[in-house]
Amino acid sequence: MSKVYTWDQLFNRRSFIKGSIATLAMGVAAGKGGLTNPASGLAVTQQEQSNVTYIPTICEQCVWRCGVIARVENGVIKKLEGNPVHPNNFGKLCPRGNAGIETVYSPDRIQFPMIRAGARGSGLWREASWDEALSYTADQMKQIKEKYGAKAMIFNSTDNLSQPFFEVLLKAYGTPNYGTQRSLCFNATTTGFLYTFGVPQPGTDYSNCKYMIFTGRNLAEGISNNETQEMIELIARGAKVVVLDPRFSKTAAKAEWLPIRPGTDSAFFLAMIHVIIKEKSYNEAFILKYTQGFEALTQEVEKYTPEWAEKQCEIPAATIERIAREFAGAAPQAIAHPNWRSSNFINSFQTERSIAVLNALVGNWAQPGGLIPDQEINTVKLGELGHPQFPTAQGMRLDGVPWQYPMVPMAYGVIQTMRDNILAGKPYEAKGWLISRQNPVLSIPERQKTINALMKLDFVAVVDIQANDTAYYADVILPESSYLERYDGLVPIGNKIFLRQPVIDTLYDTKSSLMIYKELADHLGLGDFLPYKDETDLLQKQLRPFPISLEELKEKGYYEVQNFRKDHSKDFNFQTTSGKIEISSSIMEQMGKKAVPNWVDPPRPDEDHYYLLTGKTAQHSQMFTQNNSWLLELFPENKLWLHTSVAAKLGVNEDEEVIVESEVGKVRIKAHVTEGIRSDCVFMVSGFGHVSKGLRKAYGLGASDSALHKSLADPISGGSALSETFVTVIKA
Amino acid sequence: MEVRMGFVIITSRCIDCDACMVACRAENEVPLGNTRNWVKDSGVKGQFPEVKQMFEPGNCMHCDNPPCVRVCPTGASQKRSDGIVIVDHEKCIGCKYCLTACPYEARFINAETGKADKCTLCLHRLQQGLKPACVQTCLGKARQAGNLNDPESVVAKLLATYPSRQLLTELGTGPNIYYIDVAVPEIPEGK
Amino acid sequence: MKTEIPWGLMIVIYLFTAGLSAGSMMTSNLALLKDREKYGRIIRWGAYVTPFPISFGTGMLLLDLGSPFNFYRLFLTLQVRSAMSYGSWAILLFAALSFVNLYLWLPDRYRPIKWPAEIEKWQRILAQLMPILSLIVASYTGFLLAEAMRPLWDTLLLPILFLVSALSTGVAAVILTATLSHKNRIQHHELHVLTLVDMILILVELALFLGIILTLFAASESQKLAISSLLFGSYAWMFWLMIVVCGLLLPLGLELLELKGRIQLRWALPTTLGSSLLVLLGGFFVRYVITYAGQLSRWIN
Repeated sequence: MSKVYTWDQLFNRRSFIKGSIATLAMGVAAGKGGLTNPASGLAVTQQEQSNVTYIPTICEQCVWRCGVIARVENGVIKKLEGNPVHPNNFGKLCPRGNAGIETVYSPDRIQFPMIRAGARGSGLWREASWDEALSYTADQMKQIKEKYGAKAMIFNSTDNLSQPFFEVLLKAYGTPNYGTQRSLCFNATTTGFLYTFGVPQPGTDYSNCKYMIFTGRNLAEGISNNETQEMIELIARGAKVVVLDPRFSKTAAKAEWLPIRPGTDSAFFLAMIHVIIKEKSYNEAFILKYTQGFEALTQEVEKYTPEWAEKQCEIPAATIERIAREFAGAAPQAIAHPNWRSSNFINSFQTERSIAVLNALVGNWAQPGGLIPDQEINTVKLGELGHPQFPTAQGMRLDGVPWQYPMVPMAYGVIQTMRDNILAGKPYEAKGWLISRQNPVLSIPERQKTINALMKLDFVAVVDIQANDTAYYADVILPESSYLERYDGLVPIGNKIFLRQPVIDTLYDTKSSLMIYKELADHLGLGDFLPYKDETDLLQKQLRPFPISLEELKEKGYYEVQNFRKDHSKDFNFQTTSGKIEISSSIMEQMGKKAVPNWVDPPRPDEDHYYLLTGKTAQHSQMFTQNNSWLLELFPENKLWLHTSVAAKLGVNEDEEVIVESEVGKVRIKAHVTEGIRSDCVFMVSGFGHVSKGLRKAYGLGASDSALHKSLADPISGGSALSETFVTVIKA
Repeated sequence: MEVRMGFVIITSRCIDCDACMVACRAENEVPLGNTRNWVKDSGVKGQFPEVKQMFEPGNCMHCDNPPCVRVCPTGASQKRSDGIVIVDHEKCIGCKYCLTACPYEARFINAETGKADKCTLCLHRLQQGLKPACVQTCLGKARQAGNLNDPESVVAKLLATYPSRQLLTELGTGPNIYYIDVAVPEIPEGK
Repeated sequence: MKTEIPWGLMIVIYLFTAGLSAGSMMTSNLALLKDREKYGRIIRWGAYVTPFPISFGTGMLLLDLGSPFNFYRLFLTLQVRSAMSYGSWAILLFAALSFVNLYLWLPDRYRPIKWPAEIEKWQRILAQLMPILSLIVASYTGFLLAEAMRPLWDTLLLPILFLVSALSTGVAAVILTATLSHKNRIQHHELHVLTLVDMILILVELALFLGIILTLFAASESQKLAISSLLFGSYAWMFWLMIVVCGLLLPLGLELLELKGRIQLRWALPTTLGSSLLVLLGGFFVRYVITYAGQLSRWIN
């Protein structure tokens, strides 16, 4: 029987190892001391060069997949820099990307497979071998399948390079239940654009754009590297940028800020459409040729005058009119941005639909400075692995798609409903949960419910590099190698193929998720579905169509497919029911709903209640990086933004603690007093308030919005209505 | 003409992401708790909804007349002929006089070395033909560095085209960070 | 970003003790030059007190260094533009000579070898030389700060203030030790002179403070801000209570009463001890407050 460890004991063992790495690192650094000495000059530099290698790979400090070149000295990663050839970041790294070294060398990494040795969530663990941990996981999964059917097992993962292989594993296992982060993020955007243009996420041509409207899209703080750079260039070029946001974000600081009332963005856009139609400043030829439903729209928006909208969204009618004119005047080099995390209100689908339709009206589709059609078609296709026929997934989906949410695409799902149905046992009892690189405890609204759901299950397994809050409640943790220690599947972008590869040997007894999935599949008797011996075997298979060896690819980090021609022939083949841009949605009509974008009145907070807004900071990624000490140094905790007048009313000063309470929970957090927020809103950055004691630096810092958020879902897109949670605030 | 190394920082291109700070920490192995560079946030100024916010990155100004060099009792703080202000670790005793004398508060004592520490303009990278780490990583190309006296340099070209300001010039330090606040549509090609 | 103050308590102690030693040395020297016989106790106690505070303070300085084992680098060079460089040399010389001076004033039985022969001559030579060095050491502590050019420190009145405060604390230290001594207890005429001198010094100090306040208020925005935060900010209570009231006004009043003979005999000794202790305390807080508040003061654009 192996020893039982608490987190502290586990980490103390680790500090020892970290110490030896640090010593090694210092040994290398010692040679560098003379560099600030003017007398030393180049000699030291060149001597240093001899043990240095530069290895191209791909970042994973967020989901954007930037190109990285790692400088490794004597087996220690010393510096990460952007890869200039990579289109996702043009040679630059954001703060999180720069801090990747600290992710790898964190003393809180999971070092070896761990099996729970006390009650769930007790923090007692024992070390296990990989074989034991995988056999245990596979046995549990097999038992669940035999007793309750494959559907009783839920699989969860989030956006990452090995996600396609995880999806193969879950399909091979045969469960219909797959949870992703999508409904907490962009379901409104993707469904809104899918049901308008037939494309879920069209691109945006910043380089030729002259007028951009962002609806909460905050590229200065929610950094999407190349897009953020493109936005900065757009602003520097003098293009007009308008930001609709109840909070003065750092993006708003660079633009015209319209502090719109939360949940009323569609009123703003419907009124813009009203003005554009009334003034006939739309692109008539484009509308005639490519769209359907313009007449119905004209009728619908008749009533949405700027004066009407002002009452809803509290942006002056004259401003709405002016922006409508400026926008139409700049078109087609004008974009109302499709945005990203748009899961804010029950009506967010209508907001995204009105944004999509506004773009259609000015005819910016496939025009310079406008929306860019499907980019999938212009991306290189990798070699296929092939696999046996998947079993047919039996049973209804726990997340209510499509039986509760008929319009939500299967691939997106509704994760908050899945959690609720685990608790409710409807339409059947779930028994097991395999979660890879995801942290539902902190991401899904109503944290306590998520913890309760985990406690209810027979079996929970987590794959991650650190003890995130969900791993804390798991039965088994399968430790993944960090992104700088492992391979992942290849990433095609346009005409190039990029490789993530290890830049150092694994520090601990960890594996790549590719191999964790593969070996788990083997233990489940499903090995044929992931037909590769190891990572390099997989990569060679993916590379088969191209005249390049893996060795060459590793050297260069990417491969550029020769004579790759972009295909624009299908730009105007809209993948909608009618084959046209659907101003009036056929699917909405079929569902018996109003088919053109329309106004759905959002709820308002009662007196002494505030809209709870959440968003990002440039220094952290979702709930993943708060334990990174380099990033924590820049952004040590989240605070509750309060307008000066609200703070005065509550008698709260900067950095004093307040208690924020919603219908579902209560947190204590420091106040940030500012003029940069509406007085009916409060705001907090999400991702703090970790409950896992395995995240020793982040544990207990700030507060989690998931403890406050109500679980609400837009019945059309399935998007979680995060900003429909209203809170009270009192001085602590 | 003699070399005069310095920075041009375009505040209108800075989004306060702090990538420069992390890049510097990694490149120069700066211990936690201190930093060689920074981004100053003006905070939200004005009254809702008429508000403004500005971000001002900075680091050692590599002054023409550096107070840190003047006060150094051992000659450890030096101004090189190319204008870069450096600390010779051999000579530094860690007396912190330079820390108090720097009006830009660009210096700290490195807890690991016990020496005064500051931006070296990534001298070791310049020697390898690379840009300073903060300049290399800057998403907005807000940070630029080079020889201010070379008309072919990016920094000199920027200064020739756009109005700029320096910090605390009245103290006679002759700081070599020039700030451009107006929009700069394109970063010129140059050395 | 954290705001850390580079110079803390150890530097304050260094500045205070250096001033104190310079002041007591000066007191001893001037007494000798004035009248060797009449002021014998002052001369002797000044010589005894001087070496120790500055040695202790220099030890503090060494402990405060980031690289203490590198301190010898101070003495491999003379950086003429650096106050700390010439100050360190001055302090080194001063401390060494203060020990020599101490040796020269030891009672004969503590000097096993009877060297030098013409001891009075040497005592006199040192008494003529040391005031210059004392002046340098005492004002150096002020120049050290003034040269760092922080808004609160950036006035030439500061070295003068530190010099006067140093003399005042030096006088107080001599009064204190000589009053407590059994064998060489201070005599009334000696105490009278020292008290008078100290009163004058305190008055000059008050004038200098007023001068600094007015100068800084008339200077740049940053300096205006610096002096207002000294007078009204987080160090204000220390400034007003510990410096102005306890360190200056209270001893001034007590000394005035002493001189006018308004103190009952049984209160004479406590009053003398009390006023000199208060002067020392005040002198310490002059360094403390100015060092700390000065580092918090910032130049604003």
